[in-house]
Amino acid sequence: MPNTIETRLPTGVKDFLPVKAAKLDYLQNTLRSVYRSWGFRPVAPAVLEDLAVLELGLGTDLREKTFRFDDRQTGRLVAFPPDMTPQIARIAATRMRDMPLPFRLCYNGRVLRHTEQRLGKDREIFQSGVELIGLNGPEADAEMIAMAVKCLQAVGAGEFTIDIGQVEFLRGVLNGLPLDPVQSRTVRTAIASKDTSGLQQLLRDLPLTDQQRSELLALPRLYGGREILAQARDSIANPASQAALDNLEKILEVLTVYGVEEHITLDLGEMRGFDYHSGLIFQGFLSGFGQAVCAGGRYDGLTGRYGFPAPATGFAFNLYSLLFALDRILEERAGEGTDFLLFSPGQNKAPAQRLAATLRSQGYSVARDIIERDQAASLDYARRMHYRYLLVLDATQEKLTLIRTSDGETNSVAPAKIESGQFQI
Amino acid sequence: MSDYLTFALPKGRIMQDSMDLFARIGITCPEMDDPGRKLVFENRADKLRFMAVRSQDVPTYVEHGCADIGVVGKDTLLEQDKDLYEPLDLQFGYCRLVVAEPKELRQEDDPAGWSNIRVATKYPNVTEKYFAAKGVQVEVIKLYGSIELAPLVGLAERIVDLVSTGGTMRENGLVEVETIAEITSRLIINRASLKTKHRRIIRLIEDLEQIIEHGPRISG
Repeated sequence: MPNTIETRLPTGVKDFLPVKAAKLDYLQNTLRSVYRSWGFRPVAPAVLEDLAVLELGLGTDLREKTFRFDDRQTGRLVAFPPDMTPQIARIAATRMRDMPLPFRLCYNGRVLRHTEQRLGKDREIFQSGVELIGLNGPEADAEMIAMAVKCLQAVGAGEFTIDIGQVEFLRGVLNGLPLDPVQSRTVRTAIASKDTSGLQQLLRDLPLTDQQRSELLALPRLYGGREILAQARDSIANPASQAALDNLEKILEVLTVYGVEEHITLDLGEMRGFDYHSGLIFQGFLSGFGQAVCAGGRYDGLTGRYGFPAPATGFAFNLYSLLFALDRILEERAGEGTDFLLFSPGQNKAPAQRLAATLRSQGYSVARDIIERDQAASLDYARRMHYRYLLVLDATQEKLTLIRTSDGETNSVAPAKIESGQFQI
Repeated sequence: MSDYLTFALPKGRIMQDSMDLFARIGITCPEMDDPGRKLVFENRADKLRFMAVRSQDVPTYVEHGCADIGVVGKDTLLEQDKDLYEPLDLQFGYCRLVVAEPKELRQEDDPAGWSNIRVATKYPNVTEKYFAAKGVQVEVIKLYGSIELAPLVGLAERIVDLVSTGGTMRENGLVEVETIAEITSRLIINRASLKTKHRRIIRLIEDLEQIIEHGPRISG
């Protein structure tokens, strides 16, 4: 029967029905258990922030995407966070400042961002991530990448790559060039899109030395496997970039120890997060999926904006992207519905209720079919609502039949076997 | 699926030019010789797939990762501002994006004195950005085709459009005032594809670069 009441949802947000929601649940739980195994403890930030406070930790890009409105009680602007990292930075810098460093924190929650409409982009983003605050040095950076790899393996991703960049390497090339802000922005845009020919054209007219030109032109091509580190050494001479390469090499050494280097690719021309990050940056890509599923990196300046300067690094997964990319794998891992629907046609329901309680205490998931109907209707319901088995306790309360919903395979089970805990499906 | 390399190509001339270019580096698709009404063509032996789409849709398919690689005019890229890599200028499909106006208006007109103007175009974003940078207020009228008609019937005094030979504009009594950008076809690549299929894609880019450097520049 069609619903005649209009119930549209704003674009860019979604509801998840049980089958999909179970997969989301699986992703959250699996990631959380990886975080826990590396010693990370959960924090749960507030859903609303004072806009002025939140903006301390947001770059221009995210500021423009923030949902904001006014607080009737105070007249101040409040906002739904577009990213959880600034919130964690605020919590660490204010609420936790007297605790000993480092902090290993993880979180899980939804954020909102304005996006272009009609392009299939989400406004609601479900983030799950970690922040490691108070640690400098390559081992901390390597920890983030190794964890991201372990997370992807844990949720069942097969072919994937963690693509690493180094913001300081880029700064070494870009800082100190005699460019005005507009020129500098167009040069950065060309590098970001790896537009070599556009960059060539731009550089022709700019007042640069041959050395500066050749370094800039090298950037869009410095991506691939580990071999590009040597290429970068040869083509880029400035000390800041060389120091950044030293840092990268140390990180890669640790990653080899963790045994994750086969998943690493490098992109030294990656400009993403150039304004916000301060060292190693990375993104995770699954083979066959067009967008990054996770992103992270070092952001040493962020907690300082909340009055507590500390080195920090972290990453976050986009759970909707993971859900979409791994749908088939998650079907196997989280697709199973409830174990039993317990159907009992007799007048006395007490034995069925007791049986359900026994099965639950043994760890099974059981729902009672409370509606009065015949067995065929009960089986039909069980099939459509993703129950694995229909368990029928007949009117005599003595005969127990187990029907598998997928193929109708039927077996009888002795009630005593369940009571004694010997029953297994 | 993911071991295939998928191309999104604009239907028509550019698709043909692209396939001619790709053939020179050994990328072919015999299935395309007899296209019929099909939109997807496969070369199973080499694990290649080609999709024929509207040129304005090429960046969308590539940005979402439905295609790893696309060929599209720089005009479309400028207009849409998508998150993509564009590592190679393929140097065909050459034309220019220009501001034009009727010949009679041009004789007494000084572009340096424009303060607010009305412009008809298929490229509203490029037009707005271009004039905003010059400090000129522009009222854009978005059209989908036959832009040259707009000044003739008084819809807008000026237009922003592509010209290759300039024939259509001349025949409609229009003259170019300024060039906004020189346009050629670009190779675009999905960000994730470049990372997850980097060996295949780097080779493709390098091979193409070789023949583009050595081949004659195609124009017109």
